[in-house]
Amino acid sequence: MSKTPLLEIEDLYARVADKEIIKGFNLTINEGEVHAIMGPNGAGKSTLSNVICGKPGYEITSGSIRFKGKDLTKMSAEDRAREGIFLCMQYPVEIPGVAVTTFLKHSINAVRKYHNLPELDTMEFVKMVREEGKKLGIDNEMIKRPVNVGFSGGEKKRLETLQMNILKPSFAILDEADSGLDVDALKVVAEGMNALRDGKRSMLIITHYQRLLEYVVPDFVHVYADGHIVKSGDKTLAAEIEKDGYAEYTRER
Amino acid sequence: MGGLVQKVKLFGEYIPWFQAMRDKGAITFDELGLPTPKTEAWKYTKLRDLNTDDLVIEPSNFLSEMRVTAEEACGCHHEDGGCGCHHHHGKGCCCGHHHEEGDCHCHEEGHVCECRQKLQVPFDAYVIHFEKGKMIPPFPDFPRGVEVMNLMEAVITEDAKEYLGKVADIKLHPFAALNNAYMEEGIYLCVHKNVKVDKPIVLINHTKSGEENIFFNIRNLIVLEQGAEAEFVEWYNYTGAVKSRYFANLVNEIVLGKNAKLSHYKLQDEAFKANHIALSVVKQKADSNYHNFCLQRGANIGRNEVKVLLNDENASAEVNAAYIMSGWATLDTTTDILHLSPRTYSSQLVKGVVGGEAKGVFQGKIHIAQDAVQTEGKQLHRALLLSDTAEIDVKPELEIFADDVKCSHGAASGELDENQLFYMQSRGIGREEAKQILIDAYLNEALAKVKNPEIRAWLSDYAHAPQE
Repeated sequence: MSKTPLLEIEDLYARVADKEIIKGFNLTINEGEVHAIMGPNGAGKSTLSNVICGKPGYEITSGSIRFKGKDLTKMSAEDRAREGIFLCMQYPVEIPGVAVTTFLKHSINAVRKYHNLPELDTMEFVKMVREEGKKLGIDNEMIKRPVNVGFSGGEKKRLETLQMNILKPSFAILDEADSGLDVDALKVVAEGMNALRDGKRSMLIITHYQRLLEYVVPDFVHVYADGHIVKSGDKTLAAEIEKDGYAEYTRER
Repeated sequence: MGGLVQKVKLFGEYIPWFQAMRDKGAITFDELGLPTPKTEAWKYTKLRDLNTDDLVIEPSNFLSEMRVTAEEACGCHHEDGGCGCHHHHGKGCCCGHHHEEGDCHCHEEGHVCECRQKLQVPFDAYVIHFEKGKMIPPFPDFPRGVEVMNLMEAVITEDAKEYLGKVADIKLHPFAALNNAYMEEGIYLCVHKNVKVDKPIVLINHTKSGEENIFFNIRNLIVLEQGAEAEFVEWYNYTGAVKSRYFANLVNEIVLGKNAKLSHYKLQDEAFKANHIALSVVKQKADSNYHNFCLQRGANIGRNEVKVLLNDENASAEVNAAYIMSGWATLDTTTDILHLSPRTYSSQLVKGVVGGEAKGVFQGKIHIAQDAVQTEGKQLHRALLLSDTAEIDVKPELEIFADDVKCSHGAASGELDENQLFYMQSRGIGREEAKQILIDAYLNEALAKVKNPEIRAWLSDYAHAPQE
């Protein structure tokens, strides 16, 4: 069975300010696949997710990123999201004064509009948020609060997952590069991601520890050091790293 | 002819005590002159952009009413020369509509002109209409215990005599002095003892800006007797030529009796080249509360100045404001809170959003007199700068002569947060839309201070950046 590539990164070089962080990075993720990228602290793991999602301040100096065959590097951050890329953030941003419902409504309708779908009216929207929220243990009080303001770590992750479940992206990036998330919060996200696994959607998990990979089992594991992938394998590679650490890979360069 | 000082015939010259105030106003303005960049209270406000040379003052409505003859009359259904309303119909209806001969219904009971219909507030209210600074009858029917008249009527009956000109000190304010000199239009509102007005009282001044740059003055006198409660809303707006440089010069004198409560809201939405200078002075007796919110979003120079005299114990005032601007505008929020008795309380939150080459000014003064012990005064100003050329000038002043007081002030300015913008973009929200959401949220913190939810919702609809 031939595989359809979803995300294709070729010989990518990128920098922040004057510092080259990504150096010759190659990765292809096909439809339905779950990949994990593991690496030591400071390897540039978060840079990778930010570059894929189009965060300002990152400059691609050479190489290419294609998503569904389209050149991502020419797209604004919002268009990448509308095309189906979702970044589940390590540290979700607090937005004082903007209620979760307001935020979600702008988000879902911006994406729908991009795909020439009619905007959801308030009734449809509220119904959907309540249903999806219920599955994650998000109550009505929480969605009236300002986005992430005063949220616990677990609540923040639940809100990220709620957004992911509402937007139903074709490609989700879970950036947990260095976060010391508690197990309960981790499970919430993992369950959300597993619920989206349907053999068509793809995922990229960026993590420091193997822990998360026990909940979302990847098809492929890559070790990332010094700006590129130094070793690839299946899920057993994650266990090896957990046992032996990253020292072997950081020395190699 | 032109300029701020013009010879105009006003109604009521034969009333000595009243005419004396006008004369005093003219003399005081002549002595003070226009503020210069060296005038401390005005140093940040670019008055050189005021452009007063070609200002036109329209003739008095009160006099023209008497002047109307059969030939000049509106040609509608009146036969005895004057149609009875306050308008000179030679150029069409007050509302700016040109009525066919015999088709002027603007003063018929219940008639609301087409253009006026657009100027209804979206909440139940007693609405008083002004056009270019001149009141348009009729008044709505007010409940018992709420007395409203036009200022001249209150001058003739001497209802206004006790307080008119005695709350605002014109020696300190050239534009207030000028306002004195032209005193004629405005309302007198008195809420009797323990009467609680059931709906907000709204003053809408609409300016249909045309070729001429009109200069008008409005003076309102608002008296709440002991235990009275009311909400007063001012709304200044325009239709017509965006570039009209009309000038609105406004003074409110407000007296709050013991335990009286006034909520005072204002929306300044003037034409972009127009100028709007307003002063409200509030005198408060014991246990009274003044709750104020002003949103400024229009005008070339817009200044909203609020001075509160907390004269007696346990009087409290909240003076909050928001402003949003772009282009080349200067929007100035000036406050002066005087704690003159023990245990008086004030708080201020002012938030602004400044884009383009615009300039925001906040001057906030808290004065605590020597015997005003156990007093609390709080002040916070925050501004969001949307461009490199936007400017903000902040001058907080604390004058504390008493011990045992709690006083705080703070000022901060910043730009939109890139992380917040990216977070929203990463959820598919366009960058410009994301900016707008953040700006709304920024101003919402100030708008949240508006107690009346309907008025808050109404003001929120205007808390967006005007198109450049």
